[in-house]
Amino acid sequence: MSLTDADLVARILLDDDHHAFSELVKRHQSAVRGLLRQLTRTDAALADDLAQETFLKAYKNIRSFRGEARFSTWLYRIAYNCFREDARRRKELVGIDETRLEAEPDPQTVDPALRHDLMHALSLLPLHERTAVLLCCQNGLSHDEASRVLEIPLGTVKTNVLRGREKLKKTLAMWENF
Amino acid sequence: MAEQLQEDWLDARLRDEAVYIDDDGFTGRVVQQLPARQQSRLSRAVILLAVTLVACIVAYLISGRGMFLTHTAEFLVAMPLATVCAIAGACALLVTVVGASAAFAKARL
Repeated sequence: MSLTDADLVARILLDDDHHAFSELVKRHQSAVRGLLRQLTRTDAALADDLAQETFLKAYKNIRSFRGEARFSTWLYRIAYNCFREDARRRKELVGIDETRLEAEPDPQTVDPALRHDLMHALSLLPLHERTAVLLCCQNGLSHDEASRVLEIPLGTVKTNVLRGREKLKKTLAMWENF
Repeated sequence: MAEQLQEDWLDARLRDEAVYIDDDGFTGRVVQQLPARQQSRLSRAVILLAVTLVACIVAYLISGRGMFLTHTAEFLVAMPLATVCAIAGACALLVTVVGASAAFAKARL
């Protein structure tokens, strides 16, 4: 019988078990890297760097995981914070305008022949709506869990998901005419 | 109804897009960067206990087989009451300050 995430966390807390932690990384690496790839607009190298940072932070702060939420929810929260910190750092270094980062379409996805239609539609969403839609609709988090990950009120998450969905529907409807 | 169907379709499409990303050495790279394993709690407790025992034995032997305890007791008994009260008060104050600092530091974490 395979161990639950909580069992593995308990082993890490009890005996600093690296093997248990590597099992947790194996289980969640795809979801965390996938989310970060979407947030960084498919920059796989940056997403993987942030994913590594996420897991290392998770390991160092494993004692602060109290088991109130799912382990994956806790990881998504760390991943999202890593992404935000990195965006802030890059903004400071090269003067990236965060409002542009949130609203500007990904130039790689402008050509619909090159990219999948849904990914294109997602990339058009502002960051806060994209993140809410990805967490709730793609990764299966409840609105309550997403509000914990993003550290924003529940009502704001619901609004962001609703608006994101509406925009996706509009964009995809337009694409259906092609 | 049509709205619901469209939303279900949208969710399904989004989930389809969440393809599994192969590990491809990612876990290995993360584990390599973990800090070195600390000793287990049991071994740490055993080491601490052993060192404490040895220290106690050494202190006992070099202090004239515990004679310092008798001397200290005699010294305290002969001390004026006001001095004993002042020392006790100072100790209580010290412990309170240390405890409050620890609580404050923990709350900030």
